[in-house]
Amino acid sequence: MKLQRDVYIAGVGETVFGKHKMDYDELGRLAAFQAIKSSNIDKPGLIESAYVGNAHNGIVTGQTIFKDIGICGKAPIINVESACSAGAMAVHLAIKDVACGLTELSMGVGAENHTLRRKSGTAFMPAMNDIEAVHGGVMTGKYAMRATRYMHETGATIEDLALITQKNRRHATHNPHASFKGDYSIDEIINSRMIAYPLTLHQCCGVVDGAGAVVVCSEEMIRKLKIEKPVKVRGSVVTSGPYHNKPRDITGDDITEMTSSMLYEESGIGPEEVDILELHDAFTIAELLYYECMQLCRKGEGLQFLRDGQATYGGKCVVSPRGGMLSYGHPIGASGAAQVAANVKQLRGECNGYQVEPIPQVAMSHVTGGGLSGTEHAACTMHMLTSDW
Amino acid sequence: MAEKKKIKKEKEPDITFYHPDLLEVPEKGLPYLKGYKCKKCGQLDFPKLSPCPTCWGEKFDVVPLSRKGILYSFSDLYIGQPGLETPYICGYIDLPEDIRIFAMLKGDVDTFKCDEEVELTTGPIRKNADGLEIISYMFQKA
Ligand SMILES: [Zn+2]
Repeated sequence: MKLQRDVYIAGVGETVFGKHKMDYDELGRLAAFQAIKSSNIDKPGLIESAYVGNAHNGIVTGQTIFKDIGICGKAPIINVESACSAGAMAVHLAIKDVACGLTELSMGVGAENHTLRRKSGTAFMPAMNDIEAVHGGVMTGKYAMRATRYMHETGATIEDLALITQKNRRHATHNPHASFKGDYSIDEIINSRMIAYPLTLHQCCGVVDGAGAVVVCSEEMIRKLKIEKPVKVRGSVVTSGPYHNKPRDITGDDITEMTSSMLYEESGIGPEEVDILELHDAFTIAELLYYECMQLCRKGEGLQFLRDGQATYGGKCVVSPRGGMLSYGHPIGASGAAQVAANVKQLRGECNGYQVEPIPQVAMSHVTGGGLSGTEHAACTMHMLTSDW
Repeated sequence: MAEKKKIKKEKEPDITFYHPDLLEVPEKGLPYLKGYKCKKCGQLDFPKLSPCPTCWGEKFDVVPLSRKGILYSFSDLYIGQPGLETPYICGYIDLPEDIRIFAMLKGDVDTFKCDEEVELTTGPIRKNADGLEIISYMFQKA
């Protein structure tokens, strides 16, 4: 999407991610109201459109979130579903409204409560009208096969994969929003319960609840709201996954390669300029592959990039500075919006205890969505943000 | 009430075979998967896609696919879909026709390897709504 005019992020919100008694709507409202307050908005009338990402919590989720805070009746609210990509897609659509001049100020929210509803001890799966789902396909299996192949081709070990969990949960140590954090030994990670060989429990994102929200607006509105630290949207790309039934290299990821290339082109910012990155680390192997897919390093050098400390503080790009999905857990409709929220807070230097230093100026986020047979993922959404003050 | 019961339609039995368009199990001879070759552009697909996603052609020749292929990758699943007994094993099988099949693997966990040869077989992939097994394609070590 080529942005027709400049779009900024005025404010963001995110809940604590974890097992909540609050349902998705309350979580969504919390995050949304935080985003509204941090945008210096003091009355409901300013919000001209809102998009809400959710995957599993039913119908009219967005209207349910917004009705109690006086926005229903004043703005169109549109619900967005694309599995894990939903929250980021909601943000994308809000950006699109402002970019096209349809609105001056819009919101993107992602909210999800899994634990109030879902039976534990089973895995997320594509819909049952999917030929792979009928044959037992689950998301863990899809990523596990990528890991098996990667290990087969490169000689990487489970211990290598575990380094990703260790790094991300270290990053999250002092992040109050993350639910799995602190020091995990490699032994503890690889000896946790086997979920889908070679992925053990601590290499998989947790099933939790949460919400994230983002207020986007025009340049004029940034001035009107007196936003001191406007974050500029440099690119926002949504793609659908190429479909075919031919052999493909699953140590790569065609949709991530395509989407990141488009984002680099659209934003005019190259991979070497990205200071921080939140990506779809739903499973350890994913982060490792995505270093290569997003050209942070060359093909086949992902493991070296990790081992050399290039993905942590002081490295070329701090990957998963909030702790990623491996630390937050992954309420699937919420994660994409929460990534954007976390990146904005990093750019603004607001991450007390887990702030990347020096304060980053370029932040990228990436979230795929959905297992769909014949594709690597059904959807992918990426954002590029820069500080602009 | 009794009358109401009478008009209530008999529930149709759920499927026990998945799926005649995909898998042929001859009375004599070995089972095989059915590929669909587009008459207009020649693309070979599994499963059947109509129209052809490349050219939107709607006529196809049915082509029996090779029974043996190479196991590209796999995973032993210890947490699976709701209702499926664990562990079970899934894999991608690459056929010589340049087609990749996702299937359950018949065999034991900890025994499969990437790039080994596997062959088509059939077996139960899940239970249907009536609690009966649904038979479909699977692969095992060749
Ligand atoms: Zn065709």
